[in-house]
Amino acid sequence: MEALGLRDDMGDKSAVAAQNSLQLIAFSIGEQTYGVEITTVREIRAWNGATPLPNTREFVRGVINLRGTIVPIFDLRARFGDGQTSPTKNHVVVVMSVGDKWVGILVDAVSDILTVSRDDIHNVPEGNSIDTELLNGIVTHESRMVGLIDLHAVVSGAKMDG
Amino acid sequence: MSDLDDFKATYFDECSELLTELEEQFAAIEAGERDADRLNAVFRAIHSIKGGAGAFGFSALVGFAHAYETLLDYVRDGRIEMSDDVVALCIRANDIVADHVKAAQTGEALPADYGMDEKERFDALARGDAAAGDDEDGDPLDEFDIEFTPVMVNLDAPEAPAAMAAGEAPVDDAFDSAPMQIEPGHWEVRFTPHRALYARANDPLLLFRELAALGEMHVRAVLEEIPPLSDFEPFAVYCSWEITMISPSLTEAMIREVFEFVEGDCDIAVAQLGSATAGFDIPPAPEPVVAVPKPAINEEPDPADLLALADDEVATLLDFSADANVAPEPQFAPEPEPAPVSVQDSFEEPPALSFAELAETIQPSPVAKPPTPVAAAAAPVRVAPPAAPSEGEESGGNRSVGVQSIRVDLDKVDRVVNMVGELVITQSMLTQQMDETLRARYTELVRGLEVLAQTTRGLQDSVMAIRAQPVKSVFSRMPRLVRELATKTGKKIKLETIGENTEIDKTVIEQLSDPLTHMIRNSADHGIESPETRTGRGKSETGTIRLSAEQAGGNILIIVEDDGGGINRERVLQVARDKGVVAPDVNPTDEQIDQLIFAPGFSTASEVSDISGRGVGMDVVLSNIKKIGGSVHVRSWTGKGTRMTLRLPLTLAVLDVMLVKVGESPYVVPLSSIVETIQCSRASFERVPSGGQVLQVRGEYVQVIDLAQRFEMVTETDPENRFVVLCEAEGSAKVALIVDDIIGQQQVVIKSLEENFERVDGIAGGTILGDGNVALIVDVQGLKTTIVHKNAA
Repeated sequence: MEALGLRDDMGDKSAVAAQNSLQLIAFSIGEQTYGVEITTVREIRAWNGATPLPNTREFVRGVINLRGTIVPIFDLRARFGDGQTSPTKNHVVVVMSVGDKWVGILVDAVSDILTVSRDDIHNVPEGNSIDTELLNGIVTHESRMVGLIDLHAVVSGAKMDG
Repeated sequence: MSDLDDFKATYFDECSELLTELEEQFAAIEAGERDADRLNAVFRAIHSIKGGAGAFGFSALVGFAHAYETLLDYVRDGRIEMSDDVVALCIRANDIVADHVKAAQTGEALPADYGMDEKERFDALARGDAAAGDDEDGDPLDEFDIEFTPVMVNLDAPEAPAAMAAGEAPVDDAFDSAPMQIEPGHWEVRFTPHRALYARANDPLLLFRELAALGEMHVRAVLEEIPPLSDFEPFAVYCSWEITMISPSLTEAMIREVFEFVEGDCDIAVAQLGSATAGFDIPPAPEPVVAVPKPAINEEPDPADLLALADDEVATLLDFSADANVAPEPQFAPEPEPAPVSVQDSFEEPPALSFAELAETIQPSPVAKPPTPVAAAAAPVRVAPPAAPSEGEESGGNRSVGVQSIRVDLDKVDRVVNMVGELVITQSMLTQQMDETLRARYTELVRGLEVLAQTTRGLQDSVMAIRAQPVKSVFSRMPRLVRELATKTGKKIKLETIGENTEIDKTVIEQLSDPLTHMIRNSADHGIESPETRTGRGKSETGTIRLSAEQAGGNILIIVEDDGGGINRERVLQVARDKGVVAPDVNPTDEQIDQLIFAPGFSTASEVSDISGRGVGMDVVLSNIKKIGGSVHVRSWTGKGTRMTLRLPLTLAVLDVMLVKVGESPYVVPLSSIVETIQCSRASFERVPSGGQVLQVRGEYVQVIDLAQRFEMVTETDPENRFVVLCEAEGSAKVALIVDDIIGQQQVVIKSLEENFERVDGIAGGTILGDGNVALIVDVQGLKTTIVHKNAA
């Protein structure tokens, strides 16, 4: 009975922990680290080229074949307005689900899986509109600043005319 | 109650199939095939619709269907002759039933008196018959407003395959039983099986079948002992049977012989009718059958008391029946109506969750009770001797011999289609990987790949065949449309359909209904002349619209032809000029004028009628057909008629394309839109003042779109080495696409870009090539319109 009680305790603890903490996949673009919630990530694959889509904004790198479905790839660097990434085999595509759609995000590298507390998430300081538009919040992990990507914002406005 | 919703959905699915069948049957009946098979099929269809409607409480539908069914029953008995009038009335009745079903499905209310005229005509026909006939009450139609209280439950107890409870026989059956004379040569058998009979795996049905071989047989299940559901013991035997045998040469020994093997496990009482030992309470002489509702005089316990179920319990009952239906034991749902489903059918058919069958387990119980035990005894189960097969057996035969089918969610089929598409791509990728050295070295592997290629292709064809459906499902809606149009326009129109078994992809069929409706409306309204005009022109009074389908290579041709006046070209051209569709100085050819009827907003009708004339019809035809990758062509002969031809792809899932290169990226252009390809060095380009280019091709000037430029791609190809792909866009306007290279032709599986992204201008979708890369499909029509918009802006 003791064991059972212990297990119950643990279950409660982990439930509390799950409520308060957030697991992130962290990836880097240049020196900067960003993160997305781990539950949205479907797979991580090496950059292997994409078919360019005409008449789309520069941050839409094109489409790839993901086991028979066509998935668009967004260049996160270009999305932040820092110009297109020149991808190599070492660049990484993080495939995520946004709503009922799957999208890929081209980043320089995937660095880590982080567990952060929800209480530690700060609002993005007002200022640059790109920051407030594309980030949900900012969290500090081991003295590094991690920007939480707002996926819905990243994938919107892909067409030329908006 | 989501289960009930599921059942409803199934019911409406079945209704639409049954209504289609009705149309088919009446098409044949109208054409003169007035045999019993057709009539029985009609009867079954109406009965199934009514049964389900009763279970769901669609009372208007039940009422009408019941009246219709009564009429059909009279016709079947030969009491009413199948005259043209009756056929016409029945066809009208089908339409009303269809409207009732639709109203029930959408929840819309029809006018309370909807179909009353027809109902009264049924009534009049029935009345006329009754007056001429016997002393039956001449108003069987009073039963419409009876409450259909479900009284029958199908309990599939493990050892009692035939556990059942019968509803009271509807009054119609009293008519059936009336001719049953009771005279010498009639035997009464009371068969009461014991528990041991079932324990030894004996099946009463087999015994009944054997008995049926001896002569005419009527069976009644004795259900009075069935306890309320709460006291029901699964392994107990509650059901016994009273059997009436009619055969001049029948002896008691013959009957006993049938029961020889179960003798110890049941009680058998055999008695000749009229003898002192008559088994049960059947009067020795027929009493006049009176069909007046007389519930009070019924001495038998009302089954409704045994298993009374309120309306709101029907759902529970349905669930229960559903469970019973999927149970491995065969179940017995006796049919109190004149047996559209015979006893054999119920047993032999695999237990399936068909709604019609389900509905049989919940039988409507008319308030009107059979007035005499004779009727009651005869009604529930009838097994005819094999020498004279009943309609029930025929129905059984039809069903087992006919096409067997399963209902599958279209999504599931599409998933298979997609996966087979992937397989085709993987297979072609593997084949491409085989270079000469590999081929020489691994001959076995090469052979294996060849077999794989064949199998994959076979698999692809088979999967596509699953999605294919006969065009019948669309064609069968048209006779009704033509009838309505004929009535509204006062014209006489006959519809002929040819090739309705031609099969096309289901998605294509779904897209076909609207265009066909518009085309037939157009033919009826504009094409066919009034009877007077036709007579004046020396044609027969009745105009003909011919609807045909045939396969031509990888396409299906759907042709709508009429023998009307043809397109009035002067008028069309005049209207086109007035509306600015055609410039005043242009003189189009006859053929070009004919195509003008597809222009948006175009109508020559001087008055907008509720049939056509709003000018939206024909361009809907064109855009719908274009959407599914087809084309429309119209040809007209003045005074003789018009022919409109739809050319449709066999399937939408696979597209024949030309693979081209724009910049470094692969693009595909649908082969169906390509007219020809020309090397740029051989093409003659001309400059126009705007700075753009046009291509001169056989005296025609065609707009040029440089895809690299349009798609903002960098190209380093020598302009001389590039290619012109001449395409035909909507309305037969051509457009010349300039591409960097032509790689070849192939079949591709269309993938949606919108699934994970959004629509991209000039791109119709994507596809995955053999090397796993994505190629984009050029949207020829889209390119042309975006250019137009840009010019306008």
